[in-house]
Amino acid sequence: MTSFQSTLGEEEGIADELAQNQRSISIAEFFEKNKHMLGFDSGARGLVTAVKEAVDNALDATEEAEIAPDIYVEIAEAGDYYRLVVEDNGPGITKEQVPKVFGKLLYGSRFHAREQSRGQQGIGISAAVLYSQLTSGKPAKITSRTQGSAEAQYFELVVDTDKNDPEIRKSKETSWDRPHGTRIELEMEANMRARQQLHDYIKHTAVVNPHARFELREPGLDEPLKFERATDQLPAKTEEIRPHPHGVELGTLLKMLGATDSYSISGFLQEEFTRVGQKTATKVLNNFRDNHFGREMSWPAVADADELEATIADAVSGKGPEATTQFASGVADVLTSRERTSHYELVDIVANVAEGVQEETGKTFGKTVRENAVEAAWAELTHHEETDEGTESALVSTIHAAVDEATSTQKDDATVHGLAERLARKFAALEDDRHRLSRKALRALVDDAADATVEYDDAAFGETARENVTDVLWGAMRTVPDDAPPVREVADDRDAASDLLEAMRVTDILAPPTECLSPITAELVEAGLRKEYDADFYAAATRDAEVHGGDPFIVEAGIAYGGELAAEGSVDLLRFANRVPLVYQRGACATTDVVKGIGWRNYGLDQPGGSGMPNGPAVIMVHVASTNVPFTSESKDALANIPAIEDEIELAIREAARELKSYLKKRRSMQQRREKQNVLGQILPEMADKVSEVTGRDRPNIDGAMARIMNNVSVERRVEDGEVTLSIRNYSDRSEQLDITDIVSVEPEGLNGEANVVDLDGEWFVQWKPSVPSGESATLSYTVGADATFDIDVDGVEKERLTVNA
Amino acid sequence: MSSDTELQDEKARERLIDLAAEFYDQFAGGQIPEMELPTRTKSNIEYDEDSHVWVYGDRTSTRSANSVRGARKLLKAIYTIDFLAQQLDEGRSSTLRELYYLSESWDSKEAGFNDQDESNQLVEDLEIVSEVTREDFHMRPEESGATLMGPLRIREQTRRGEREIHCQEDVGEGGYQIPNNPDTIEFLDHDIEFVLCVETGGMRDRLVENGFDEDHGAMVVHLKGQPARATRRITKRLHDELDLPVVVFTDGDPWSYRIYGSVAYGSIKSAHLSEYLATPEAKFVGIQPQDIVDYDLPTDPLSDSDINALESELEDPRFQTEYWTEQINLQLDIGKKAEQQALASRGLDFVTDTYLPERLGEMGIL
Repeated sequence: MTSFQSTLGEEEGIADELAQNQRSISIAEFFEKNKHMLGFDSGARGLVTAVKEAVDNALDATEEAEIAPDIYVEIAEAGDYYRLVVEDNGPGITKEQVPKVFGKLLYGSRFHAREQSRGQQGIGISAAVLYSQLTSGKPAKITSRTQGSAEAQYFELVVDTDKNDPEIRKSKETSWDRPHGTRIELEMEANMRARQQLHDYIKHTAVVNPHARFELREPGLDEPLKFERATDQLPAKTEEIRPHPHGVELGTLLKMLGATDSYSISGFLQEEFTRVGQKTATKVLNNFRDNHFGREMSWPAVADADELEATIADAVSGKGPEATTQFASGVADVLTSRERTSHYELVDIVANVAEGVQEETGKTFGKTVRENAVEAAWAELTHHEETDEGTESALVSTIHAAVDEATSTQKDDATVHGLAERLARKFAALEDDRHRLSRKALRALVDDAADATVEYDDAAFGETARENVTDVLWGAMRTVPDDAPPVREVADDRDAASDLLEAMRVTDILAPPTECLSPITAELVEAGLRKEYDADFYAAATRDAEVHGGDPFIVEAGIAYGGELAAEGSVDLLRFANRVPLVYQRGACATTDVVKGIGWRNYGLDQPGGSGMPNGPAVIMVHVASTNVPFTSESKDALANIPAIEDEIELAIREAARELKSYLKKRRSMQQRREKQNVLGQILPEMADKVSEVTGRDRPNIDGAMARIMNNVSVERRVEDGEVTLSIRNYSDRSEQLDITDIVSVEPEGLNGEANVVDLDGEWFVQWKPSVPSGESATLSYTVGADATFDIDVDGVEKERLTVNA
Repeated sequence: MSSDTELQDEKARERLIDLAAEFYDQFAGGQIPEMELPTRTKSNIEYDEDSHVWVYGDRTSTRSANSVRGARKLLKAIYTIDFLAQQLDEGRSSTLRELYYLSESWDSKEAGFNDQDESNQLVEDLEIVSEVTREDFHMRPEESGATLMGPLRIREQTRRGEREIHCQEDVGEGGYQIPNNPDTIEFLDHDIEFVLCVETGGMRDRLVENGFDEDHGAMVVHLKGQPARATRRITKRLHDELDLPVVVFTDGDPWSYRIYGSVAYGSIKSAHLSEYLATPEAKFVGIQPQDIVDYDLPTDPLSDSDINALESELEDPRFQTEYWTEQINLQLDIGKKAEQQALASRGLDFVTDTYLPERLGEMGIL
């Protein structure tokens, strides 16, 4: 186009002029202008993003080396700039790799791997380096020491934005006190306005990485913020997986087809994809054949065997009457005994019978004879003739039955028949005599016939009915045995590849394996929340893996409630993707949408208007782990609204919320119980006083009655002449496990019961863990000398349900 | 006071202390204190074929300290027991209303009564469980004001000594006021032919003015609407001890039939005392629906609630007799009711000269 235009004028064309200014843009240059896309849109945010990228890298590196991460983050003022230092105890990076990892965008080990990891594109840390050099003009200072090496490597480098290559300013060996690890120091224009987000990021990272230790120093902190490990258990190591057939796109498939060493498609499928074995490959291939070659319609033998035999016999010449009859009747018998037969099946049948007759009679039934026989028999099977007197057709009745089966009973017979006749005419008129059609072509046939029926018969024939008819007919058609083309042909044929992709898509294939994922696990989600939030209640749930677009994913949710959490305002929502906290763009995140859509009142949380963010002292946490987390943008701040993922998020949250509900319910009933106990605690003693006053007897002991009323467990001590008896009565409706520690000031003797005595500095700890079934009691007795004092501590039963008189 | 009464007071006191002791033992045994009572609802009232009165059935409900509500009730009960026991000990008495106000002064705030219905009900509960009547606890209602007028000489134990009174000669036109505990009365001597219980004050005054009691030897008992216990008790005593026929004369409406019912068969609230209060032999004089027709009395139309009450009486086993079914259906038919005073439309003497003699004659009393 351009060249054509440029020849119009005699002088040098404008296009050439333009061409002089056209050149490729380096990714680094592109980034320079589009910092916001990677989360470096402001000084405040840039700092948080830089910390985030460096910490994510550090965690990925340590975990991959199966080292419990120990990460140090320091932010300090350095003149007009801020200096950021992030150190880890990872395996270190080799001398050769350091410059590329930090000084080249889109360089990384993750992009091509189907495995859960924090970083994916290899942009993050080099973008941080770039940002620092752009704003402060100073190079990044990297120190890295690999395990076992004597010295560490020190680099000062910048990104050459023209070439997207590292430019090393300084490189030397240096000593470092860490035995292995990586340290990066960046200076950048920044401010601490996003301090809260920074703290949130570190704190939330600590929540989902309970196996990691973090330390944060920044100018606003008097003391460094430290987050200790909650577990020594490292996340399960992930395994890289091959792509899943449901998760590739046409371009990828073409690329894979081009690159594979396999010859056959079956081999290619089994080799390059996960979850594809011989059986699945065959299924995909059959679907591929249906797409690629189409299916052949099969027809029943409508004529009787004699007629069929005569027709076939007529087609055979020069084989002598005996062999001819034997052959013709053989084929006719097979055809009439079959429910329906397609063209290729007919070819096979004729061949089989011919072989048999040939063997028996010695007459050769060659290619031409066989072809003639096939043609004659096929013509009989698909006989369709329209004359003035009417239609004589073997096809109509077959199609009529199919249409009748496919349509509702409301369609009157005339309509069904009209459609069947039209379809029969179309089959008879098919260019491919073998009645071979793709599903799409079949549907087009049905549509044509239906349109005509609607137009001429004045009948209704809607979308559903057409689809149903197509389904039934397609079901009657046979997958052809043609060989699938080899890989190299498909690779060059976009349409064939598209047929293959479609075949892969429609085939049921096992969900991808999940060893590529590393969920935190419900147990550690809870431990993480417990570590960072001082609440009364914690719950967590981990869902089973699901698949979206060939990428497996797992959703986990956790809830913390009560305690020191702020009761005012809406709950805190912590969002995580592959163990990375999402700090910005909460409103754009699928997670937020799901939380807002849940009816939290059902679960005991306040929710003004019955939808939206719930209120109350709670933290809701959601973690999505996937080999490919769908973000709304490159800055990885918000999850995209993918229905499959949203469903799982909802189920995970609801699972945890159900526990919250039963906790809150129990808490409410405990509160009622407490209130009841308070009132009865006043009434019953007054009643006892009055009863003793009226009867003139000593005041009765009401603890037993009290415990019984409250369905409580009562613990009572009686001391008589140094004989101590502890009795426990369980008035509740379930068995109780108690854990009693009785601290005695003198040594107890003659212990009668399953209890241990521990001597601790002149105090004796009597430890007793009785199990008391509902309605029963247990006693422990021992003797002490005079003047013993006791201090009892009872665990294992809620305070509200315990009456201690000891 | 006679030693008899003292003995009775002592017995009542003992029963109360026994109740307290039961609570004590429950506490001491680690049990939840509780009190079992017959369920006091309409559905748990049974007709006793032998005594022809209404008594509580077998269903019971338990008042237990298991709930805050139950515990409060029991606390109130024990405070009331204490109060009653002291009152008996000191030989004093008080009214139900006084008990209600007195509870304000108790040292436990939880023990105070919320309203008088509550304290009244509690006293009734205690009557039932202790099998001692309210009167024997020295508890009385504020005033009943019901009176007797008729040829009867009695001796009453008053707080100020014994009094001998003739219920016609020694009293004014108002008659002899029935004391709260009629069991303190001793019947000495009488010329009574029959006992005539009258619902309204107006009719009672008319009978007295016209000298009906003197002319016919009638003991006129003024019921004052739904009769108080004392009124019912003395009616029963007049019947039982003096072997006198009892008739009841009320307005001609469904509510008045219930007044007759409570005199004759007992009421739901005091079904535990039916055998002590009810006079099953009592007969109904009128006003009958039939009288409205026969005497062409001035009437009011039946209201909806009247009709409902009549219909529910048709289902009430107490009124399952040929007589009542006929009368009630007749009343529903004519849709009218009449007051006792309606008889005055025939002249002031009509009731004493014509109506009552005719009716009582029919009933075989006169």
